[in-house]
This record gives sequence, structure tokens and C-alpha cells, in this order.
Amino acid sequence: MDHAIQTNALRYRASKEFEIRDLALKVPVGSVYGFLGPNGSGKTTTIRLLLGQLRPAAGSISVLGYDVPDQTTQMLAHTGYVPERPHLYPSLTVGEAMQLHAAFFKSWDWSRAEELVTQFGLRRDQRIGRLSKGETGKAMMMLALAQAPSLLILDEPTDGLDPVARRDVLSALVEYVSGGDAAVFISSHLVHELERVCDWVGVLDKGQLISELPMETFKNGLKRLRVGSAPAHLDDPPFAVLAREGDGVSAHELWLVRGWQDPMHQYLASIGADLREVIDLDLEEGFVELLRTARTA
Amino acid sequence: MFKEILRTEWNWSRYAVVVTVIAAFALPLVAIQPTGMASQSLYDTTAIMNLMSRYSPWFGGLAMLLGLVFATTTWGADHRGHHVYALTLPIPRSQYVIMRYGAGLLLLCAPLAAMWFGCLVASAAAQIPTGLQAYPYALSLRFALATVLAFSVFFAISAGTTRTAAYVLTALLVVGLGQVGINVFGLDRDVLGWILDRLVVWPGPLEIFTGDWKLIDV
Repeated sequence: MDHAIQTNALRYRASKEFEIRDLALKVPVGSVYGFLGPNGSGKTTTIRLLLGQLRPAAGSISVLGYDVPDQTTQMLAHTGYVPERPHLYPSLTVGEAMQLHAAFFKSWDWSRAEELVTQFGLRRDQRIGRLSKGETGKAMMMLALAQAPSLLILDEPTDGLDPVARRDVLSALVEYVSGGDAAVFISSHLVHELERVCDWVGVLDKGQLISELPMETFKNGLKRLRVGSAPAHLDDPPFAVLAREGDGVSAHELWLVRGWQDPMHQYLASIGADLREVIDLDLEEGFVELLRTARTA
Repeated sequence: MFKEILRTEWNWSRYAVVVTVIAAFALPLVAIQPTGMASQSLYDTTAIMNLMSRYSPWFGGLAMLLGLVFATTTWGADHRGHHVYALTLPIPRSQYVIMRYGAGLLLLCAPLAAMWFGCLVASAAAQIPTGLQAYPYALSLRFALATVLAFSVFFAISAGTTRTAAYVLTALLVVGLGQVGINVFGLDRDVLGWILDRLVVWPGPLEIFTGDWKLIDV
């Protein structure tokens, strides 16, 4: 099994206005996969499809080698899940929630659970319903990690958390991933957060996957170029030009390109273009530009 | 797994268990109060029987209330969390539902046992006139069957989605409006009465809630 998650031509119609179309995800085993997309792009719907909570109209889903939704039960035994909204029973204490969870997951690790309770500053006698938003997020993450899953699916796990809680949750995640070959599928619209934890990234917009590539490729190959004297038509450029537009100030153009490497400035010189500046894009800028160009196209 | 499911249900319904245990124990004791006026005459015996009949609806009503309270508390927490937690547990949905049902039934045993115990105490304490006798086992058994039936019906309705509840309410509304329409057009048809008869008159499934519930009878 090369991929922890693999979908093929997945289709699901959520409403008249929205559908997941021909979704082909490939999440490598052992990777931390950032699933990016603006609000309403279909991230949570995709996760519900992966967890077998929704039945696809077409296509196939394989999670940890199990066909979903037919083998959902077997798949869930090895999958930890932290949803966007709190899903734990509010009248239980943290300790009772641990006991309940442990009863259902054979791989539950009590010593790891106790470590995480201490690490997150939780108390076993605290009622879930009386925890703060940050503490609830930590409690959900603690349960998911303590079941020692082969795959962790996190839906906006840090959304609405304060910076301290966010750091704690992401640190625990990084620690868990570094200790084994578990895969993590983490959806978020908080792009800059994923930058330091993910090694793969997929971008979803309006129910369609518009990009899926290693984080390094995404970050390094995506550049904004300021170019002067550019010809209207480019012959077989060694990089992909995603967008061209005037910079609004001078006669120069701003190009958004993918696959850029420094020696390629020779190509620009060969076509008579004047490369003035190569601007690095961070993940968030790259994400925004990617969405913009995809929507323009 | 079942132990933990039972523990969660106890957590949610423990106050209901305490209150219903008291109510179930007290009802037979309250219902035998008329026997205090017994003086062995046929006239008084008939009067006692009539007075005791007044408590009949309370037994059926309590059975229905128990079923409703325990069924709704069984599913309440799952509904509030949109069933997300339950749906991410690695067991088939049917197994989860059966465990929830079993745990609800097990907790119902407390008020059912209280009713049985209350019936025994009330039978022992009552001055039973000649010609009458106590039926503590029969009454508590009937109460148990009625409660389990009510619990099962409300459990099935509660287990459904909001859409299911909407279907049930729509069906009831259609029947009610249909009857109004029939009356408006002056047609001599009592659809509502016909349906109710099928439900509460033997062999209707809800017949057990109707009729006399007497601890002491001929």
C-alpha cells in the first residue's frame, strides 16, 4: 500500500449548487498532507466521504487499503478523527471520555493518553461541556492520538484556538508523526499553519482538486516574476506560466509561474524579455494565487 | 464496549432513573388508598373498585412517560453532536443501536423493579375486602410490557433523523387534516376514529395502555 488515502473519479452531489467533481486524491503513507481550500470548497464533505459517512455518487475511495464505504468499520479501527466542531459527549468527564474511547479501539495506548493529558494541561475530572474551546480541541486531539492510529484525519483542528492551544496541538501532531509512519490528512483554510507541518499539499476549490504536489515543489517552484519587454507569445517556456498581468505601476508585467529554477532566466534573455525580479511566494500567497488563476481559467 | 455504553446512558439518565423509581414505587401505594374504607359490604366493594379505576390511566401514562424519557435521553447526546462521534466508532451502526437499546432497557429495569416492589408492598398493606384479591405480579408484568413497548416505539422514532421525525409528523398531520376535510364535505367517514380503534382496541399494538389497571380486582 503506497497511499493511505486514494480516491478515483470521486463524485458527490451535496446540493443543486455544489458538488464534489472527479476528485482524485493520493495521500502517501507516512506523509502529512495539507488539504487546503477556502470556506465552502468541500473539504469537510470530502472528509465525510473518506470516513464513510456519505455515500459517493460515483468513483472509488480507498483508505488504508480498505474500500469505503463498504469496509468503513475496519478502516475506522485504524483511523483517528478530529472534527471541526466538538463531537464528544459534553456530560462526560475527560476521564470518562477516555474510558469510552478506549473500549472501542484495540490499539488504545493508556500511557500515551496519560502523557497527553498532562502535556495538554487537562484534568481527568473536567467535564467536556465545561472545557474552553482550546481545551476541547486538545481533548479531541488527545483521544485521536492515544488510539495510535495509522491515519489521522483532522478537519480544521486549530480553527478558533488561541495561539498557545494551537501550538500545543500542532506540536503533539508533529511529535506523533515523527515517531512512526502514520499519515496525517489535515484540512484547513489557515494556510500558514500547515506550512511548517505538511510535506504534501492538495488544494480544493469549488469541489475540484486544482493542485496536489509535495510542499517543497509547491513552495519552491511557485514564483512571481517581474518582467519587462515581454513578448506577447512565449514559445515552449521551461516553466508553467499560470498568470500574466501588468504590475499597475510601470510597463512591467507580473508573471505567476510554476516550476521555476534560477538557470531559467537565460530563457527569458533568449526571448528578449528583461527579468527584473524573482519574488518568493510563501504558502499562503501561493495558495491565493493558485486559487485566483484557477478561477480565472 | 457495552459496559461503557451503559455507563454513558447512566450518566445521562440517572436523575430520570431516581425520579421514575420513586414514582413507580409510589403509584401502587397511592392506588390502594380506597381499600382503607373497606367494610366488607358489597356496596363498599363496588365503590372501592370504582375508585381504584380512577388510577388506571396513571399506570398506562407512567409506562408511556418512562418509555419516552428513557428513549429520548438514550439518543439526546448523539443528536446534539449530530451523531458524529458514534459514526466514527469502529463498529457497525446496527451494533451501536442494539447496544444503546440494550442499555436503555437495562436502566428501565430500575423503575420496573420499583413498580413490582411497590405492588408487593401495597398488596401486603391493603385491607382487601372479601371476594377481591391482589394481582401484584400481573400488574407489574403488564406495566413492564407496556413500558418496554413505549420505550421501543419512542426509541425507534428518536433514533431517526429530523427528516424521519418530519415524516411521522407529516403523516399525523395528513390524517388530521384529512378528517377535517371529510367533516367539511359532510361525508360520513370517521377515519381518525378507525385508525385509533386499530391502534388501541385488541389486537391493536397500543391496547395494553388502555382499560383497567387494578392492583386489586375480583
